[in-house]
Amino acid sequence: MCGMSVSKNQRIAVVIPAYNEAKVIGDVIKDIRKEIKNANLNGDVVVINDGSKDNTSQEARNAGAIVIDHILNSGAGSATATGLSYANQNGYDIAATMDADGQHASVDVIKGIRKLQKGDVDLLIGSRLIDARGMSRVKRLGNNGLSFITYVLFGVRSTDSQSGLRIFSRRTLESLRWKTSGFEFCSEMIWRAKQLGLTIDEYPIKAIYTDYSRSKGQNNWNAVNILKSLIKRRLVELFE
Amino acid sequence: MRYIVLVLLNLPIILLALVNIITQYKMRRVSKARFRHQIILWVVILVVLISSFPVYNAINNRPPLDSAELSAFDIVEIVSIVFLIYVVNNQRQQLERTERLVRDLHQEISIRLSTGRSSVVSEDKFEEK
Repeated sequence: MCGMSVSKNQRIAVVIPAYNEAKVIGDVIKDIRKEIKNANLNGDVVVINDGSKDNTSQEARNAGAIVIDHILNSGAGSATATGLSYANQNGYDIAATMDADGQHASVDVIKGIRKLQKGDVDLLIGSRLIDARGMSRVKRLGNNGLSFITYVLFGVRSTDSQSGLRIFSRRTLESLRWKTSGFEFCSEMIWRAKQLGLTIDEYPIKAIYTDYSRSKGQNNWNAVNILKSLIKRRLVELFE
Repeated sequence: MRYIVLVLLNLPIILLALVNIITQYKMRRVSKARFRHQIILWVVILVVLISSFPVYNAINNRPPLDSAELSAFDIVEIVSIVFLIYVVNNQRQQLERTERLVRDLHQEISIRLSTGRSSVVSEDKFEEK
């Protein structure tokens, strides 16, 4: 869908993978739905409830989202894949992913969709690190470290390889697949996009850190796990 | 002579691995990249197996097939290693395929159950990418 014209009729899916986010998911959905309406876009919010033990699914439904319930908790990568697969199967022209913890501003999602509609981009990544004000040093270190490792392992440059705010063109929805199911999918996804020859770009976004999102967010120890999985994936790929 | 036995014992394993990967590729079960990597892997093992002794002998100014230093245990050990590489490699691929299949099934079932409809699945959905 490179170089597509801006069209009001383009169908947009905002995919939100969620695990135990009952406290905030309703507000996140209402907020993004309001922004979609204000921007005069034809969009749906699709929540992938990744086997939550709380009321995430019901809260998301009450807020007006299409909800897909994972039978088993299978990780952020897997939930995102389900959401994008749903968007692909249902003929959406553009899909966006965002975090369920309220870390991403809805205006940034709309900004990304507009940018993708205008440009020749297949995968647009919202980077929290182009302007990292508000992000703690520890988080900045962890994110920069993982972006550097993504570059070393896969040869793909990204200022924020772990960002959950991404915008996908129709072409990307049809072709992009990845193998990991945890948070390491963020790096693998960029790598696969590069392998497929898709055009990748970034744009600056603001990360909203509340006490809740801080408590839910990944800590740097999780980065060690991601690192292990990425190295394993890279090595396994040598024999494939 | 022992060297010949070593090569003859390992050759069927390597040939089996090569035939396997060619068959899978021809049946479109593996991607071109995986096919290429696997072929390279087994050809390297074959070349190392065949050439290491003659090269070692040539460096030491001995007849190319002189394998007096090779014990029966060495032969068993090397054959076991090559066989284990074959088994592990096969099992890993099988595991990856199963893992992918389970993930795709879970994804598909979740979508179908949640949306209450028969969703469209592309033909290559469960094929190896």
